Amino acid sequence: MISSNSNNQNSAIINFKIKFSKLLQQPTILIGSVLVIILSYLVIAPIVSIFSNSVSLTMMDAMLSGSKDGEFTYKYIDRVFASSVSEKIFWIPLKNSITVSFFATLIALVLGLILASLVTSTNIFGRKYLGFLLIIPYMLPSQAMATAWLTMFKNRKISGPQGMLESFGITPPDWLAYGPLPISICMALSYFPFAFLLFSSALSKIDIQLEEVASTFGAKTKAIWSKIILPLLIPTTMSVLLLTVARTLGTFATPYILGTPAKYTLLSTSLYSSVRSNDSGVVAVIAIVLSLIGVMLLLVDIWVVRKWQRFVTVGGKGIKRQPSKLGIFRMPTTIFAWIIFLIAALGPFIVLALSTLMREPGNFSFSNFGLAYWTGVNVPGMDQPGIFTSPEVITALKNSFLIAGSASIICGMLGLLIGYAVVRLPGTLISGFLRQISFLPYLMPGLAFAAAYLSLFAVSRGPIPALYGSISLLILVMVVTYLPYASRSGISAMMQVGPEPEEAGMVLGAGFWRRITTILAPLQKSALIIAIILPFITGMKELSLVVMLVTPGTELLTTQSIRFLDFGYTQLANATILIIGVVVMISVLILNRVTKTNLASGLGG
Amino acid sequence: MSEIKLKSIIKNFGGNSIAVDNLSEIFPDGEFVCLLGPSGCGKTTTLRMIAGLETPDSGEIFYGDKTFFSSKTGELTKTENRNLGLMFQSYALWPHMTVYKNIVFGLEMQKKSLEEKNKRYLELEKLFHLENFRDRYPSELSGGQQQRVALARMLAIKPSLLLLDEPLSNLDSNLRLEMRSELKRLHQSIGCTIIFVTHDQMEAMTLATSIAVMNKGKIEQIDKPMEIYNNPKSLFVAKFVGSPQMNIINSEIDNELALCLSKKLNIERNQVKNFGIRPESMKMVQQNEGDINANIETIQPTGADWIVGVNIFGKSIFLISSDPPIGKENDKIGIFFKPEGCHSFDSNDLRILKN
Repeated sequence: MISSNSNNQNSAIINFKIKFSKLLQQPTILIGSVLVIILSYLVIAPIVSIFSNSVSLTMMDAMLSGSKDGEFTYKYIDRVFASSVSEKIFWIPLKNSITVSFFATLIALVLGLILASLVTSTNIFGRKYLGFLLIIPYMLPSQAMATAWLTMFKNRKISGPQGMLESFGITPPDWLAYGPLPISICMALSYFPFAFLLFSSALSKIDIQLEEVASTFGAKTKAIWSKIILPLLIPTTMSVLLLTVARTLGTFATPYILGTPAKYTLLSTSLYSSVRSNDSGVVAVIAIVLSLIGVMLLLVDIWVVRKWQRFVTVGGKGIKRQPSKLGIFRMPTTIFAWIIFLIAALGPFIVLALSTLMREPGNFSFSNFGLAYWTGVNVPGMDQPGIFTSPEVITALKNSFLIAGSASIICGMLGLLIGYAVVRLPGTLISGFLRQISFLPYLMPGLAFAAAYLSLFAVSRGPIPALYGSISLLILVMVVTYLPYASRSGISAMMQVGPEPEEAGMVLGAGFWRRITTILAPLQKSALIIAIILPFITGMKELSLVVMLVTPGTELLTTQSIRFLDFGYTQLANATILIIGVVVMISVLILNRVTKTNLASGLGG
Repeated sequence: MSEIKLKSIIKNFGGNSIAVDNLSEIFPDGEFVCLLGPSGCGKTTTLRMIAGLETPDSGEIFYGDKTFFSSKTGELTKTENRNLGLMFQSYALWPHMTVYKNIVFGLEMQKKSLEEKNKRYLELEKLFHLENFRDRYPSELSGGQQQRVALARMLAIKPSLLLLDEPLSNLDSNLRLEMRSELKRLHQSIGCTIIFVTHDQMEAMTLATSIAVMNKGKIEQIDKPMEIYNNPKSLFVAKFVGSPQMNIINSEIDNELALCLSKKLNIERNQVKNFGIRPESMKMVQQNEGDINANIETIQPTGADWIVGVNIFGKSIFLISSDPPIGKENDKIGIFFKPEGCHSFDSNDLRILKN
């Protein structure tokens, strides 16, 4: 009895000894465990907190009703779904969101499909350039399109400088200036490049031999498209549909800029006003609804992809489709494609730039042009300094670089670390858990996630201080939101390298840190650069995620532009957006140089 | 004596099947051992456990008087400290380092001086004909050159034990032949122990001083190459080694043939489940002059010899003849069996010793 006991103890010690030596040789488990702990807190805690917020009384309400702070309640669920205000804060915004998403997605899908077909498979003029130029709207911050629209079509209903059309003596009607129509169009123009990218890549992946076989049976171009190519695009279409809907639902800038003047509220703007009025219970409930819609769309997407898996054609010799001759349609289609580029990419730029250069809108005389909005010390009629001298803009610029910069560096490294742990610990609990949890933020729209962070970090909890109002909170929330992209690219980068180069070093006597620094890090250099620049681009134009977390002093360029708009300083807002656009463009160019590939794979969010 | 001793090694990757199943074996010092077997038989896992890249679930591994691993005492020597050479199927040359950097990496880890590194590099450069490649990157080399760099990198630290994981399978057949003789020469000149994993029985036969045939995580037989070929201990070994494969005759289904063979081998037929005949152990003779009569079905000349398909009472088998066949398709001939190429296996698929 005693001896077997001591035997057991012995074997436990021996087991521990082996595990410990293994750990020293390969501390991946250690890294993995630390990541698990950090991510659990950063990802799961906000979600838990938002669920608990939705059903517990806030201090204010507790005081009013004489109950205890934090008591369980259905009050907020009731207020959102079945009270006298629920029409206004939930049901109408829901209906509006659905309407706008439907039309925006429809337009984006059709535009994307037509343009992708034209560019990949026909001889329209300039197809080489269009492939890149048509993605530009995707790189602009989402409020660029909306503010450009406003600058163009604004009427006297709201304050601030005249709209361009109005200054020519045309007064655009309200339905054209504000509300569902411009929101849908602007969203469609911002998001069609996504459809364009996915359709283009799907089209170029279709095995050309499938079409050639059909033509041996006498099928003409029209029949080939309707009987073979379009059916093969069904899975892509479904994916584009669902992901674009998810994106439009989470967009904040467009409905805020173009909807507010007409009191046209979407779920995202309704959530924002609840945050502004400090109604954290209602915020939690709406955020949960938004997340559930997001989860549902994602599940449908996964299901669709799996269901259509058998559609995926294998093989193909990588022969490029011969561009089909459009004949008399060549000119009209070319004009169509370039007009779309003009409206969606170049147009906003020109409108925004013009507005910041003209003292009075619509007056094209030479004397009316000037740099007052940029370099002036006191801009006429605004009592504001110009962009380059404005302390607010300079702070915002610094903050944007600091926040997006730190977030992207942390995110990129974290992504590779997660990739390392996931790939090197195959089949373990840690690997599976890290893979899942780093993907979780993908399911929540930025607005909902920000709401969760707001509720989590508003007060100090245990060792973690209250971060609300600090730059670190903004960095943190960005890191976690972009983690799904970072970790997925980190995992695939690590997969590509495989364990052999490291093992070869191990055999020759290189210890763990040595292997990481001299073998792994140089091999992953370009992956790391991409992993940093991509979130930086997204971070620079991020609005919905940060808009409810910024405080005076922590404003970013994006939120600062919204502040300017709130005050009616349209030109300053436009100039700020232009700065963002320029920074993003430069980053994209650097990225292109580093990767020598297109952006199809990366630009999420 | 720095032999490698494996004691009751068990390794399971958490699936249903066990990767290495209670393996105990001694690989003597200075041998060129081939671990031969189909994919998934545990040969690479065994090699990786000796290298320390995998840790066994239980068992012990010794190299000379060093303990690499023991689940009894809990000792585990780090890969970094095992002083062995390992070569991968993919070579795993570091793409971001030049040929020189790749080769002297191990010396750098041992904190050798620049002089020593350069001296050793020059030796290896000469040995492997790598002159002029010093500053090239691996992607600028051909497959054979990459292979030689990988060999040089492995040998730079003068390891006393070399582990090779299918190092030849990425090469075309000409280069493979050349590399085979290079490896053989290497073994003879440096005299260290080499363990070599392959699924190619031709490679194993030509290179090894002893072959360990593995199946389902166990070593079925370890012997000198010709011994493996001439006296396979089990049906699996008999079938796996040899090309074209040994002809297998079921003693219950293929009546006439089994009867003839049991007479020839002087063995009772009901003891035997299967007979095996090497294709080259059959000789074509005139009808009624051999042990049994057959019909010629197909004739495939390979240049050096002929592979002839014959039908004996409904059973199709192949034989190899270095002389031109004495008939053409559909002709009737006689077959003479050479007893040394005929084997019999019992119901456990083990060889029945010849009397």
